[in-house]
Amino acid sequence: MSPKSAMYRLVSRLILVAGAFVSLFPFYWTAVAATNPSGKVFAKPPQLVPGSMFLENLFNLNASIGIFRVLFNSTFVTCVYTLFSLTVCTMAGYAFAKFRFPGRNALFSVFLVSLMVPYHATLIPLFKMMASWEWINTYLALIFPNVAYPFAIFLMRQNLLAMPDAVMEAARIDGVGEWRLFVSIVLPSMRPALAAAAIYLFVYQWNNFLWPLVATSTKEMYTLPVALSSLIGLSRIDYGQVMTGVTIATGPIVAFFLILQRQFISGILGGAIKE
Amino acid sequence: MRTKAHVPYLFLMPAIVLFSVFTVYPIVYSFLLSFQTGAGGNMKYAGLANYRRLLEDSIFWKSLSNTFIILAVQVPVMLFLALVLASMLHSLVRGRAFFRISFFMPAVTALVSYSIIFSLMLAGDGLVNQLLEAVGLKAVPWLSHPVWAKAAIILALTWRWTGYNMMIYLAGMQNIPDSLYEAASIDGAGKIRQFFTITIPQLRPIILLTAILSTIGTLQLFDEPYTLTRGGPSDATLTIWMYLYQTGFRYFDFGYASTLAYVIVVLIAVLSFVQFRITGGKD
Amino acid sequence: MSKSWKLFVWLLAAVLVLSACGGGGKSSSSGASGGSSSSSSSSSSSSGDAQDPVELTAWAWNVNVGALNEAIAMYQKDHPHVSLKVEDIGRLDVYDKLSTGLAAGGAGLPDIVLVEDDRIHGYLDAFPNGFANLSELGFDQYADLFPDFKKNLTSLDGVFYAMPFDSGPTGMFYRRDIFEQAGVNPDSIETWDDFFNAALEIKNKTGVYAFPADKFKDDANFRMMMNQLGVYYFDKDGNIDFKNPKVIQAMNNMKRFGDADLVKDVNGWDGTVSATVDGSVATIPFGAWYYGTIIDQAKETEGKWGVFLLPAFEKGGNRAANLGGSSWMIPASSKHKEEAYQFMAFFSTTPEVQIMAMEKYGLFPSLLTAYDSPLFTSEVSFFGGQKIWQLFSEEMPDIPTPYYTKDYAIAFDEAVKAQADVFNGKDPAQALAEAAERLASRTGRAVNEY
Repeated sequence: MSPKSAMYRLVSRLILVAGAFVSLFPFYWTAVAATNPSGKVFAKPPQLVPGSMFLENLFNLNASIGIFRVLFNSTFVTCVYTLFSLTVCTMAGYAFAKFRFPGRNALFSVFLVSLMVPYHATLIPLFKMMASWEWINTYLALIFPNVAYPFAIFLMRQNLLAMPDAVMEAARIDGVGEWRLFVSIVLPSMRPALAAAAIYLFVYQWNNFLWPLVATSTKEMYTLPVALSSLIGLSRIDYGQVMTGVTIATGPIVAFFLILQRQFISGILGGAIKE
Repeated sequence: MRTKAHVPYLFLMPAIVLFSVFTVYPIVYSFLLSFQTGAGGNMKYAGLANYRRLLEDSIFWKSLSNTFIILAVQVPVMLFLALVLASMLHSLVRGRAFFRISFFMPAVTALVSYSIIFSLMLAGDGLVNQLLEAVGLKAVPWLSHPVWAKAAIILALTWRWTGYNMMIYLAGMQNIPDSLYEAASIDGAGKIRQFFTITIPQLRPIILLTAILSTIGTLQLFDEPYTLTRGGPSDATLTIWMYLYQTGFRYFDFGYASTLAYVIVVLIAVLSFVQFRITGGKD
Repeated sequence: MSKSWKLFVWLLAAVLVLSACGGGGKSSSSGASGGSSSSSSSSSSSSGDAQDPVELTAWAWNVNVGALNEAIAMYQKDHPHVSLKVEDIGRLDVYDKLSTGLAAGGAGLPDIVLVEDDRIHGYLDAFPNGFANLSELGFDQYADLFPDFKKNLTSLDGVFYAMPFDSGPTGMFYRRDIFEQAGVNPDSIETWDDFFNAALEIKNKTGVYAFPADKFKDDANFRMMMNQLGVYYFDKDGNIDFKNPKVIQAMNNMKRFGDADLVKDVNGWDGTVSATVDGSVATIPFGAWYYGTIIDQAKETEGKWGVFLLPAFEKGGNRAANLGGSSWMIPASSKHKEEAYQFMAFFSTTPEVQIMAMEKYGLFPSLLTAYDSPLFTSEVSFFGGQKIWQLFSEEMPDIPTPYYTKDYAIAFDEAVKAQADVFNGKDPAQALAEAAERLASRTGRAVNEY
């Protein structure tokens, strides 16, 4: 190996390690803060040694905001949303990618444009509507908005465009029904794209804050971001609790990502190259 | 084609119904709101008054310029960094999974901790400045100075999203044939040269995708200025979405806030369209 | 494969149906569910003593939640049919939800909501029919139980729309040990000039800053100074008062401390607390409620604190000011206005309740009759045995009214910009004049010229 490329390897390794460190450090600090009493958050130099208060903080956290119920809410809502949205968006992406019909491009553009509308603007009309249906403070209100998520539709469409039509045509000639075609032939080959969209939808809904804040009114229905935010009153903030909550909030996403990460990469990719 | 004509509509039905009810209706409602004036409880139609007010609103123009400045610096820096990191990670043989997950973590972080951590780190005597002083540099007024505050936002954004983009590039690189690199090595091109002459051109469509997504994302920047700098100092980091939120939720001027929203929509649409055309993509 | 898809579809449908039923309790004030007798909206019905159980909902943040919960227990001794569900929501989040609910015509709102004083007029103006008229419900009889400035903040055109709760009488929370180390006697400080010199001394001897300020995002110190001088962003007629010489004087005061490098620039609330904990500032000028934060976050400094009043601008001048404070409002959409009013009137005017809130939660009462309690003359060990509550309670009657108006939010933004400009070198009079013009064009109000 030439000295030049050995040098390159060394330097690139150093940079990568530094980068990983910078990326991970805040999480480490958060986890440590979850094991310490509140005031230690402000310690200078920063407190990096884990303490022993994690269970106590967890207990207090549960007493303050009912963390286990909240965790359930977030998990339930996010999982249902992801499944539901994935289904709807994949079907729509399929229609846009594999069929020709009048108004196709116009309709697709409408979906795309809606991506650009700031959610603050549509918050109030949506709320008003939900209030009149008495959906406020129910899981329905948390799940339904944005099921037809334009970005997911876009992603699925791009990936489906890449799929060769020949297989589908052959199946049709064989007399396979449209729905069966979709389910048995198209979907299995789209696994990477499905994984990518699933991750995207999951992360979006898990971290969603403003809508769940407005749409829920009792603490039994809060999702994690809302519950965590309620810990930040004006004064007398227990940072140990806050950091414990945050540490818990990060767990499921990381787990979900780890499971699907392989699929994720090829899924996003599939949409891009084939343009 | 032997498929029945109504098939695509069946597949589209659920999306269209849900979209119309939960997305289109609120959008139309708030669009109508953009023509009304008055405070929260009493709104009345005022024609184009709100739109005219926008033209003379110096804070709006300032927020627009802030957003564009941040955009112009952050997106290229972040994407370039992501490319470099992906390239380095790509030639690494072992430990890839660890680095992948490490770099991706910031993108899934909860806003609450992200904001507390960064505001503590970027404080006048915070961690970052402590480090700077340790190596002999001067402390930086990260959150108090109009220019440095923008830098702080850019720093936070880059920390958050570089890994996400890096993952996308990494995937793309797996499809670049090694033979290209080998041939270049034989011709005597160094790694850096190979990066610019092979890697980047091969990844062009993917780079375009990330550029558009990042642009749209940065134009909608809200979380970071809201939690780190509150749009300050002196509106130096006020972005258009933040101004929209202020107008509606702090000043209760919902009509004007809607006006801002729709002007933003037009801007984003135009920008995306232009980006698309320039780089020759087709939809 | 399609068999498992069928299963999937059924599962999805089942889950959706489940989620439709599984919604947590709907807040009783918005739903038609649970037939609790929605008492008529006319307030004169004396059937407020109706024995049908009533469940009230309230939104509050943080320590206020605890105070409400204990208060309802006290109330239930004589009114067992009334119960209360308090939602603990982050302070800023309460406003987002309140604004959204009001803008949607009063949907999803609780019976009782805690609102900080500086926002009351903003809400009243934006949503004129959004809140219950408390004078009609009978609150006028209690008016004299509260200091004047609180009365002004909770009423509009002589009508009460909010019931006063806590206040933030100001003081300089200081570290005794740092002052001692520098050889400065806090009792000798009477004016801002005295304090300026003391601060220089402290900085020289110990390297510690005089006080913290979020120089570019918040103007709390400036507002306290304006208040003690008897002025504010607006005068009592609602005209913009940025050009008032006293306002300029306050800003000049900030400037000289900044120029002498006596002000520690901190980032927001977290930064202030951080500076409190690590002892990098000798004093923190704030409202009485800051007591709670100090004892929570800076536990290792027990016994080392003290409080003195804000220094006056001239010898013998006013040292009383207020920062913060909140009051209770009842949204007009409430279906239990009468019961909510009865309970909250009990809460606001009963000394035992206010003292409980103070003792356990650090919420400083505005109820003048509460000050007779022995609590207010007790020694506080965390503060070296000083009778800090007496200091604050004696200050209350002298506090001038700050005129927030409905445009407070915009004025605040402009004032902060002016302050930022001053710290970046601009002349205070000019910075304030420019802010005045900007504010005038944004709000359409007149600017007082001097």
